[in-house]
Amino acid sequence: MPKLKLPRVARTAEPLPPELRRLADEPPSFTVLLGRREFLKAAGVLAAALAVPFTGVRRAYARARGGFFTRPERATLEALVDRVIPPDRDPGARALGVAVYIERLLTAFDGAGTPPIFAGGPFSNRNPFPDERRGRRSRRRPPNAFKQFIPLTRLQTLRWRAEIFGSAAVAGAGFNDAALGPWVGLRQIYRDGLAKVDQVAVAMKGRPFARLARGDRDAVLGALDRGLFPADRRRGTTFLDVVIQHTLEGSFAAPEYGGNHRGRGWRLVRIEGDNQPLGYSIFSTDKNDYNERPTNPMSTPNPDELRHGQLRPHPISADGLSIEDAILTLTGPFENT
Amino acid sequence: MADDLLGDRSRTSFEYCIIGSGAGGGSAAHVLTAAGHSVLVLEAGPNPFPGLDDPAPLQPPLHSNDELKYAVRGWIAQDPFLEPRTFRSDPTANASLEKDVNVLPQAVGGAFQHADCKTPRFNAVDFALKSSMEALLARPENAGLTVPGFGADAASANFADWPFGYDDLEPFYVEAEQVYGVQGLAGDNVYESRRSRPYPMPPGVPMYIAELLKEGAVRTTLPGVGALHPHTYPAAITSRYYGAAPSERPPCVDCGLCSGFGCPNNAKGSPAVTTLRRALLTGRCQLRYNAHATKLLNDGHHVIGVQYVDATGEVHVAVADRYILAASPIESARLCLNSPPPGGGVLGNSSDHVGQNLMFHFQTNVNGFMAQRVHGQRGRAVTHGFSDFRGVEPGGQAIRVLTDGAGNKVVAMGGICEFSASQGLPISEDGNTYALSPLAAIVKARFGQKLKNALRDLPLGNHLLGLTMQAEDAPQSTNRVELDSRYMDVFGQPVPRITYANHAYEKNARRFYIPYLKQVVANTGATHVFVTPVNPLLVGPPSSRHVMGTLRMGDDAMRSVVNPTGRFWDVDNLYACDGSVFPTSSGHNPTLTIFAVALKIAHGLAGTPPGIV
Repeated sequence: MPKLKLPRVARTAEPLPPELRRLADEPPSFTVLLGRREFLKAAGVLAAALAVPFTGVRRAYARARGGFFTRPERATLEALVDRVIPPDRDPGARALGVAVYIERLLTAFDGAGTPPIFAGGPFSNRNPFPDERRGRRSRRRPPNAFKQFIPLTRLQTLRWRAEIFGSAAVAGAGFNDAALGPWVGLRQIYRDGLAKVDQVAVAMKGRPFARLARGDRDAVLGALDRGLFPADRRRGTTFLDVVIQHTLEGSFAAPEYGGNHRGRGWRLVRIEGDNQPLGYSIFSTDKNDYNERPTNPMSTPNPDELRHGQLRPHPISADGLSIEDAILTLTGPFENT
Repeated sequence: MADDLLGDRSRTSFEYCIIGSGAGGGSAAHVLTAAGHSVLVLEAGPNPFPGLDDPAPLQPPLHSNDELKYAVRGWIAQDPFLEPRTFRSDPTANASLEKDVNVLPQAVGGAFQHADCKTPRFNAVDFALKSSMEALLARPENAGLTVPGFGADAASANFADWPFGYDDLEPFYVEAEQVYGVQGLAGDNVYESRRSRPYPMPPGVPMYIAELLKEGAVRTTLPGVGALHPHTYPAAITSRYYGAAPSERPPCVDCGLCSGFGCPNNAKGSPAVTTLRRALLTGRCQLRYNAHATKLLNDGHHVIGVQYVDATGEVHVAVADRYILAASPIESARLCLNSPPPGGGVLGNSSDHVGQNLMFHFQTNVNGFMAQRVHGQRGRAVTHGFSDFRGVEPGGQAIRVLTDGAGNKVVAMGGICEFSASQGLPISEDGNTYALSPLAAIVKARFGQKLKNALRDLPLGNHLLGLTMQAEDAPQSTNRVELDSRYMDVFGQPVPRITYANHAYEKNARRFYIPYLKQVVANTGATHVFVTPVNPLLVGPPSSRHVMGTLRMGDDAMRSVVNPTGRFWDVDNLYACDGSVFPTSSGHNPTLTIFAVALKIAHGLAGTPPGIV
């Protein structure tokens, strides 16, 4: 399926309350952001207030343990991604390892080894080889080549260093900076973004984000998504866009990248994930044709949706259906014109 | 100097230098080395195929089932940060930087390794579309019938017959199907033109979505034509053990991460594991990868060398007797634009046609949602389709005259329709659409329980199916590649500016077929049937991964860039042999025809008949 290109709609988000509107376009500096009364209120929350002066020291500790985030940043990030994909009967983003995934990306160039940007191939060890003669699964499994990350070329190194550290900090990466402004690195985006999340949390609810109850976190997140983060000039995305994108990546990318703990993200969405070298059609040299896998068929319905040969689809949720309805809403008016 | 080399490592002088190791370059390298010539191939991207030049049995590549690596981080894609492109649909407007203007892989083996390798032939009539259309419109019974881009409207487009016919190309189609290993079923598609040989392999296992859409198609009727004719889709993907040692390839396992992904078990007939490997094993081919060509050094009528930047960033000049452009149409044209002759201007451009007549195909997607999970993630992305909307008579020899709802005669040149679905991509398709597309403003599923519930259902990944029509787009002189010197690539070169707008030729065909496309999807049992891109979005960069034109081949030096042998009219040792030479785009996936045309040009250079190797 080619990516769906959908028309934009005017955003009808409610306006920010006045006390938050001020936060929208200010730089993330604690004293500028908060009025005196708010500051006094916030001052009671020592951890948040103290986080600012100590960030440099804390980041040094984080580096020493091979990480990027300070402990308060990491707590804020985990709480934040866990509201993007919240825990319910299935794991949320925190349990899936999304924060691990993000930190591994931000520290990709810190270690001595190959930066973990592109996992190796051809196979993980999650699936067996086929039995080529009989056309069914064998007991043999390949070694996990996904763990051997692929060395980056000079240009890939330049591009991914620019992504993480910003184009101004990477020699040779600023070739369009004069025309477009700098490409802001992910480290700065996270550093500034997480600080602002806590500032808004303190301003709204009196505590840093990670110390809030679930409902208060959702209220802060909702406010944050109503214009508090400007879109980056060159990327065209806001901090929350980046967090959401990385939450999806950390939930559903191959586990070798640090998230999708034990493939539980794939189980959540009921897809099989990587399935080589077995695949779905297993060629048998004995019969000179393919066999399908009865439990994961290719050409017929899934067995769990068949009863006595009749199709019995599992019902789709109201939220799933709302996606289908919204696609029709967005595209419907334009057809046949 | 960088050590990113495959093949003969010691050779320093070459008869041919080919720029690009994909469909055109791989085909040419194979034919020329088999005929005893020495060939240097320059490839801008990395090598996903370690050991490709090792005479031991073919090794598995570095490709894998990994959504993040390909669909998100673009491991082998041309990178829009390093090599930006600008786009505009209005030739009088300023172009803007776009993240995806026909972004294709840049790696040993080229873009085809990223495709799901569908390889239908063009129809016989495609090679003489202009003269056939003019003859059809001149018939007395067709008085009053008009087709945009023809007749009184001819100046609005740039249609031309190819300098050779289908029968001239047919032996090279056969060779391409053999050397790349195509599965298919002769006679299954009533619109396919004459073939002299059956497909080398039978079709593999059908996808469930194909079984469903076949039912929808045979229940749909095109007026005056009858029920639609679904058929197996030819593809350069193995369905048997194929090829001889040491290049034997195993059967495809239908792993599903196919379109947009490299193949982990070499089942796809990528040029790397077929033609390039053969060329490398002759001992007469040297392939330098991570070697980005930036300029053709020339005296205006003769190329003296190719300037390129190697993996370490050093600049070199590669020298050969003859040079072959196969960097795909945008980059092949850009190399000419970036290579002024001593007096200034553009290399090979006395016709003023360099960069013009850029074609992408006009894709229309009609999708809907099934109640059950349809597991589009199991299979080869597309196993079936139909060709009834190409607008030709059975046999593909003649243009078809249809009747519209009001009883008027109509010509509607659409294209082959693929039966498609999602490959189960929760990050780049489902997640991005729900949380980060314009949809998010409506469903409020940017984050939280709503997002999670929607992801658990995976409406796109598990329930969507539909059709993709690959319709022909008219060649236009205003649809073109130029340079945009406001921005640079990482090598300090001005970036390509793409100007592209659709012609009434293809917009009329789209309008004609959309009701029938919707009927097929509805007749399959799908609900929420919808069309993308919607009309207002047709002004953006096309979603198609196909690309043709910019260095048109023709009989007339005033109206084409290269002659029928593939040589530049103006430059005595420069050739083009990729999709850039196509005069028109047909309504079929282009790669098999790129293979066949490149094989024809290379056999012409080598003086060998088709199929000798």
